[in-house]
Amino acid sequence: MMEHFVLPNSGHVRDAESNKLGMWLFLFTELLLFGGLFIVYLVYRALNPDAFLLASFELSIPMGTINTVVLLTSSMTIAMSITALQKGKKELALYLMMATVAAALIFMVIKFFEWNAKIHHGLFPGMETYSSLPAGESLFFFLYFFMTGLHALHVIIGAIFIAVVIAKVGSDKVTGERISLLENSGLYWHLVDVIWIYLFPLFYLIH
Amino acid sequence: MKENEIQHITSFREHFSTYVSLVILTIMTVAVSVFGADLLSLTVLTAMAIATTKAVVVGYYFMHLKYDPMIYRLLVGIVMLLFVVFMILTIFDYVFR
Repeated sequence: MMEHFVLPNSGHVRDAESNKLGMWLFLFTELLLFGGLFIVYLVYRALNPDAFLLASFELSIPMGTINTVVLLTSSMTIAMSITALQKGKKELALYLMMATVAAALIFMVIKFFEWNAKIHHGLFPGMETYSSLPAGESLFFFLYFFMTGLHALHVIIGAIFIAVVIAKVGSDKVTGERISLLENSGLYWHLVDVIWIYLFPLFYLIH
Repeated sequence: MKENEIQHITSFREHFSTYVSLVILTIMTVAVSVFGADLLSLTVLTAMAIATTKAVVVGYYFMHLKYDPMIYRLLVGIVMLLFVVFMILTIFDYVFR
């Protein structure tokens, strides 16, 4: 005979604490994913210091700086939207979340122009100029496109996540008392920010 | 009990101060790289030190670790330690091969 048993905390009990813990565990896997790539970068940089230095001059510091500030601003707005919703200011929370999504769009537009310029110079892996580069420099551009590309994918996913939460806050499915989803989208967005905090100096600034 | 605990609400002012300090750290990194290239070369270590400071500020204030239960800070610490161990082992492998 089948025993009927119920797992503890199954059913419709909301548990904000384990929601958050689960999100953090997921963020740890993301950190280790990018962490592995950072180790690859550090090793190849140590093996080809001059080539990496030369290749890094190709990147635009002003664009990278603007994008850093855009992401930091969006991190602040999503953090503030949590404060706003907890204080019962739903409309303000919605505007702050929309500002975060707008910042994600601005980031992607700037990134698009940066990538576009590099692709015009034939620096995308497999293109003509790229293939004629010395091994060290082509490695730099390979890692640049791979790591910023993977990061950009996270920016897009984060923006979609926040857009979903905007709809749920709008329809009062996420409120000051049931804020887990907004908090988790915020945590994800801050992770995206933290990764860029490392990508920016490693690719643009090390001169 | 947990249910009775009042959830900490971070003030707008605190978020804004966090933001300002992060922007100042960004300007510092860029300034060192652009204007002080001869004076103080921005090595991987310097860049990583400033970036890590920024990451800690984001984690502590924006990601709410400061006000969360100890377990979150502990877990983040363990994961960071794990990553640093991987990194050191890999670098040693390349340097002393």
